[in-house]
Amino acid sequence: MAGRYRGVVAIIQFPGVNCEYETAEAVRSAGLEAGLFRWNEDPALLQEAAAVVLPGGFSYQDRIRAGVVAAKDRIMDAIGVLARQGRPVLGICNGAQVLVESGFIPGLHWERVDLALAPNVMADREGYYCAWTWLRCEDSPCLWTGAFAGGEVVPVPIAHAEGRFSTDDESVIEAMRANGQIVLRYCTAAGEIDPAFPVNPNGSMDNIAGVCNPEGNVLAMMPHPERASWLRQVPEGLAGSWGRRRVAAACDPGKMEDGGPGRRFFESLKLGTGGAR
Amino acid sequence: MLKGTIPIAGSDDGRVAAILEENGLNLAVGEARRVVELLGRDPTIVELTIFNTMWSEHCSYKSSRRLLGELLPTKAPNVVLGPGEDAGVIRYAEAEGGDWHCLVIAHESHNHPSQVLPVEGAATGIGGIVRDVYCMGADVVGVLDPLRFGDPAGPNARQVISIARGVVDGIAQYGNPLGVPNLGGDIAFDPRFDENCLVNVVAVGTVLESRVLRSRVPEEAARMPYRIVLIGKPTDDSGFGGAAFASEDLVDGEQANRGAVQVPDPFLKRVLTVATRRVLELAREKKYVIGFKDLGAGGIACVTSELAHAGGFGVIIDLDAVNTAMGYAFPPAVVSCSETQERYALAVPEEFVPDVLRVYNEEFELPRLYHGAGAVVIAEVTRDRMYRIESGGEAVCETPVDVITTGISYDRPSKARRPAIKDPPLQPGRPLRDDFLKILGSPNIASKNYVFKHYDSEVQGRAVLRPGEADAGVIAPLPGRAVGLAFSVDGNPWYGAIDPYQGGALAVCEAARNVAAVGAVPSAITDCLNYGNPEVPEVFWEFTEGVRGIGDACRGIGLISHEGHPLPVVSGNVSFYNQGARGKAIPPSPIVCCVGVVEDYSRCRSLAFKEEGDEVFLVGEPLAELGGSEYLRTVYGAEGASVPKADFVRERGQIRAVLEMHRRGWVRACHDISQGGLLTAVAEMALGPAGEGSLGLAIEASNLSAAGLGAETVLFSETGGFVVEVGPGIERDLLAVCAHNRVQLRRLGVLRKGGRLVVTAADAILASWSLDELRGIYLTACRPIFGAGKGA
Repeated sequence: MAGRYRGVVAIIQFPGVNCEYETAEAVRSAGLEAGLFRWNEDPALLQEAAAVVLPGGFSYQDRIRAGVVAAKDRIMDAIGVLARQGRPVLGICNGAQVLVESGFIPGLHWERVDLALAPNVMADREGYYCAWTWLRCEDSPCLWTGAFAGGEVVPVPIAHAEGRFSTDDESVIEAMRANGQIVLRYCTAAGEIDPAFPVNPNGSMDNIAGVCNPEGNVLAMMPHPERASWLRQVPEGLAGSWGRRRVAAACDPGKMEDGGPGRRFFESLKLGTGGAR
Repeated sequence: MLKGTIPIAGSDDGRVAAILEENGLNLAVGEARRVVELLGRDPTIVELTIFNTMWSEHCSYKSSRRLLGELLPTKAPNVVLGPGEDAGVIRYAEAEGGDWHCLVIAHESHNHPSQVLPVEGAATGIGGIVRDVYCMGADVVGVLDPLRFGDPAGPNARQVISIARGVVDGIAQYGNPLGVPNLGGDIAFDPRFDENCLVNVVAVGTVLESRVLRSRVPEEAARMPYRIVLIGKPTDDSGFGGAAFASEDLVDGEQANRGAVQVPDPFLKRVLTVATRRVLELAREKKYVIGFKDLGAGGIACVTSELAHAGGFGVIIDLDAVNTAMGYAFPPAVVSCSETQERYALAVPEEFVPDVLRVYNEEFELPRLYHGAGAVVIAEVTRDRMYRIESGGEAVCETPVDVITTGISYDRPSKARRPAIKDPPLQPGRPLRDDFLKILGSPNIASKNYVFKHYDSEVQGRAVLRPGEADAGVIAPLPGRAVGLAFSVDGNPWYGAIDPYQGGALAVCEAARNVAAVGAVPSAITDCLNYGNPEVPEVFWEFTEGVRGIGDACRGIGLISHEGHPLPVVSGNVSFYNQGARGKAIPPSPIVCCVGVVEDYSRCRSLAFKEEGDEVFLVGEPLAELGGSEYLRTVYGAEGASVPKADFVRERGQIRAVLEMHRRGWVRACHDISQGGLLTAVAEMALGPAGEGSLGLAIEASNLSAAGLGAETVLFSETGGFVVEVGPGIERDLLAVCAHNRVQLRRLGVLRKGGRLVVTAADAILASWSLDELRGIYLTACRPIFGAGKGA
């Protein structure tokens, strides 16, 4: 068993997550190795992993509150150690909720819970919401967006009921801004920040879609990059350049296999780790 | 002689009826006597309970089996497994080494539970149907849900809206955590569903043909010892009598029905699914042949007897080994027959048992994740073909397994119902402009985006066309390959209410049209037949007519990929007793799901108009068929009589023509004509699925009918057909394709910026609308039903 995860991007399979298989495929599409890591395996095996990804889903049935039970799982202790050593860690959707509940994000004070992912606030609807959104990648030290140009706009879908980044402590926001931790913000196809639904799909403060730690190696993002890692996954009716590329790929199945906007997050990992292995 | 038998043989009919009543059994007195005859003695309570379930309409198809066998074509070259298994299986693409990629599909109803407890009822509907697909060894890649609710603005609006919201929530609460994307569905509202909503569910999966698992003890059990392992949730008394509940009329006082609804747990199902994946992988590695079946109606008794019977073996079940909720000692009849959710049974070689138990109980820690859950050995496979259940060291059921699985069948009397109905006289000079706004704002027509976005349609990452984006949902099931799968569910209750034969036939036609609209070849269907009480001769006649219509349509349209073969029916379900406490049956509602296979999913386009200057054509011709239309209902408040008449030669020709246009890469958008007629179809294309469209069109209505029909008939008749957008300058090519397939083609106009929809007749403008005003109505008309806030 030893060495099973050497140089591999470990996708943590908590009971109840449901995006682990496609997340592994998306990681592989960026030229990296990926493997599933069952939550109760020996944490020491993670030591040699190139990076850790917490995929989306409903870990532990979102009992009590989304992500909170998984945040207390012993595997998170091991992941915390790696994160502090600078190992790349990405939490997607439920994974983001786990990172926030464990206090790794925003990480201003290690393991202090400074943020919440609260129930969506939307015009005309409530609860779960699945839709494509646009994200503006802000200038930041984040390793997971290294392949993006500052201010670049990419479409990536969300699907959640509790994704509203919130805090009642203004100083947390200020510190995150000062550190460049607000990596991803919901915007229009043209890149404008509009606080209203549906541009801001869940009522997040400051339109926040993703937050990294001050060092930039840990990122918690609500949108699902693995669902936007091939051009074929982009809806035809989407506005902006990605929608146009998708329309232009009609009747060309080869083109459909091209990379999509979300793959860039995984390519960033490859870039940031010197190609992992 | 077994202990605790029930004295049936020696009791008179009145006493037998009383015994059955006391024990909460729905068996008829004659059926109880038949049990005695089969066993050759009085039954135990466990045995009687088993027959009560197995002979329920839901499990036995006792009223429908004969008819289905006679009328529905189920064999075709692409069919691997047809009706009879938990799910149907068809081949859709060649795999390596002579193997095939297969599609697995199952279709069921969960109507009564959803009426009584909408959230749980709908959720367990999804939970049950996905098990039917998982247990074939497949990965579930999607679900679809055709829903029929009451009138959201009628006298029961409050309850109707609460049920509609609850059902949508239940579907989301199960499908989203399970990680199965929603691929589509449709919703219809009619007051006749006030007291009995319809919640149909379809699940689809993919598997290699060589890996399809069967619901039987494998023949290897003749050479090596086999065990039956029960996996999942601890058994409790939830859903006890559920199959029987589905097979009787709903009674007043909902509380009385609630105990029969099961309790869903998608979390546990997800963990079970992931763990089972591992077990199946191990079995392949170690070359063990296994049998796999889900527990649904009839629980442990049903699953074990069917596994044994199908393999030609017997079993000895140790009820004391069954893990029960909180370790509670439920009566043997309850443990045998309760319908606790999230359970499966595996038939595996004894030497593989330790691996199986380790994966579920240790690797995936089921007992820690859910109190009392896990995998336990509950039975031993025997070669004597005896079915034996033991509890507390005593046999509580002991009989040849063939006796347990003996079927039962009825020939129900049938009586035609032909009411004197006719179309209302059309009123000359009606305001077309206002009438169309009413139609677009009807909850049956208006956008269902509120609902679609409540479901996860992206999980698994295979979506190509999502719910609402086109007539069919499309996925790319095989990464790196161009093959695509398309799915559509359809069934128009208003056609069935007027003419039950057309209701069945048109459900098939429309479902097939919908998959063809995205360029996929209709390759198989499933049917869920929702009707009232079959003991009422008029209802049984409706049922017979509907099945006849489905069968005729399947043969008439045929399997386009295999000339000379029918479009096969590969799975389905019959749901009788759909009527309210006051005895009002629902309109006949056969609902069909069509599966389409497309060689190249990159040719599948959304229904939205794409480019200025493109030309728009009508494939087909509107006929004087306003009966059952949205137009008559909304504008005239009438049902009418002249429902569209399915013309299979025409349908087949149109489908072939449109598929040819797709194959040549001409189609930029395509939408079939159905509810709301031609004008609704064009408006939906102009608005686009999310209302983002900006291209308009002017339609000349006087050119569209050879018979010189008036504008309202041309615009709103629901005669089937297609609206197709193509690049400019290929009209002659289109005409050639249509002539070859003997179907009509008419030019509707050119797409123009400026965002107006215009109808002219002999060049005079009859009506015109800005897309903005249409958008406002189309996108918000369903807000009072599904929008924020807790309902009316």
